[in-house]
Amino acid sequence: MKRWGTILYSILIFFLLISFGHGEELQIRILHVNDFHGFAEPYKPIGSDEMLGGIANLAARVEELRKEKLSLLLSAGDMIQGNNWTNLFQGESVMELINEMRFDAMVVGNHEFDFGQDVLRRRISEAKFPVLGANVEGLDSLKPYVIKELKGIKMGIIGVVTEDVPATTHPKNVEGLHFFSPFDIIAKCVKELKDKTHMIVVLSHIGHPVDRMIAEKIKGVDVIVGGHSHAKVTKPVKVGDTIIVQAWEHGKALGVLDLTLKDGKITSFDGYLEEIKPTAGKEDQKVLAIVEKYKQRMASVLDDKVGEVDVDLDGERKNVRRRETNLGNFIADILRELSKADGAIINGGAIRASIKKGEIKVKDIYTSLPFDNYIVAIKLTGRQIREALEHGVSGVEEEEGRFPQISGLTFKYSPSGEKGSRIKEIFVAGQPINFEKEYIVATNDFLAVGGDGYKVFGEAIKASKDFLVIGGTMKGEKVVYSHSGKWLRDGVVEYIRERGRIAPKVEGRILEIR
Amino acid sequence: MIKVFINDKLIHVLPGMTVKHALILTGLLKEVEDSKKVYDEWGNEVGFDGALSEGIKIYVK
Repeated sequence: MKRWGTILYSILIFFLLISFGHGEELQIRILHVNDFHGFAEPYKPIGSDEMLGGIANLAARVEELRKEKLSLLLSAGDMIQGNNWTNLFQGESVMELINEMRFDAMVVGNHEFDFGQDVLRRRISEAKFPVLGANVEGLDSLKPYVIKELKGIKMGIIGVVTEDVPATTHPKNVEGLHFFSPFDIIAKCVKELKDKTHMIVVLSHIGHPVDRMIAEKIKGVDVIVGGHSHAKVTKPVKVGDTIIVQAWEHGKALGVLDLTLKDGKITSFDGYLEEIKPTAGKEDQKVLAIVEKYKQRMASVLDDKVGEVDVDLDGERKNVRRRETNLGNFIADILRELSKADGAIINGGAIRASIKKGEIKVKDIYTSLPFDNYIVAIKLTGRQIREALEHGVSGVEEEEGRFPQISGLTFKYSPSGEKGSRIKEIFVAGQPINFEKEYIVATNDFLAVGGDGYKVFGEAIKASKDFLVIGGTMKGEKVVYSHSGKWLRDGVVEYIRERGRIAPKVEGRILEIR
Repeated sequence: MIKVFINDKLIHVLPGMTVKHALILTGLLKEVEDSKKVYDEWGNEVGFDGALSEGIKIYVK
């Protein structure tokens, strides 16, 4: 038996050697994308005069480049969340797309968790390729690594995601999961893989700066295919012995890395990013059909009824920027309730359209709230709340977008008073505000970073020490809620769906003193 | 809270925030909308939705 084993082993080694040609050069191509975020269709990026992207064109180029060399197609994460084309289907559309493109492996990005663990498990079960996450504990369907073989060359592919996931998504989405520092995990996987493989690739959804640190600190990684920082690394860089690549974002570029190997070792490399532009007639027809299919479904989903409203919802520009409106109240209430805050302040400029009495459709909410804003809740002192409200009403005569729509709070102000001294009375939950006390105030991410000139939120963030996720809940000194993966408009759609019928009113939350 | 440098100025943002948030916070969004681009410290252009990480340096030019 032992003799047969020895013979079989010798035959295996023999075939392994001749299979990649002992002493001969072999070329392997790694095609890669990252941070696609469901941008299936071409679009004109901010600051650009031309349309870029278009997954059907990208897929066609993948096929052409595959024909030239032995290839792997890899994704460095954040594929299924972002654009409406994917969000409206919780990533199912993207999975169908990338299955059709025959990806070889993908690492989960932080935004893959944004639809919750049940949805993520479903998406992983649909994938016809391994989905990786070596530093994630608690989600069994994620594999730490996979070994791919191309013409006798065995490639270990390890996947790692940023350990910040719990601080960027809703606590429920990561309940029971643990995210470890990628450094020790990669080192452990490299140790396990080094004798079984010819080369090791790390699929990293951690960002280019950290990719460089990994390359500096961990020996044995041949290639890092990166994502998360959306970096347009136009030529592969080498840090230590590790080649690092990353292909921008939204399918606007396809990464191409050509490796030359001799005796199973990389002897040289070359690569580039190919910008993807929409070219009619050059699309991959099967992928294009998927894009079109979900575009049609999108139209149908946007036309879905979410509920009924008994009154006209006032989102008129001249009103949301000058006074309390029932739509402003309704949206501010949702922010406050979802984040369990004491109060909420949003900018009237975030609301872009009214909604007529009667049936409410998804598209009505999307039209009214067109921006990709998410909810952040921050502890502010009573004094800071007053400062925020003073700022909010300081541009009322010019109908500036910063006019506050509020929840949990009421105030009186003099529109003709001196700017900075217009607020006369503020109540929180019906009680006079205590300037020294801290209250949790929900807002959107735009105001949280000082958008429309709201400085107090940024000052509170600055004063906040690092926060931790303890028992699935974010514990921070000042920041108590931040769900960067869920747009406010989707929260509003869900809120109305759960209730069926709404009738928000103007309640005297903001009173003018003449 | 993470520390980020934009055009060598220190700012503070939350985990999950992106290049776009850094631009809003520093009032540089308009410049990028008009013609400028954002780069990391190695000269790679970065997208608006690019994640920020502790100590990262980005430049608008």
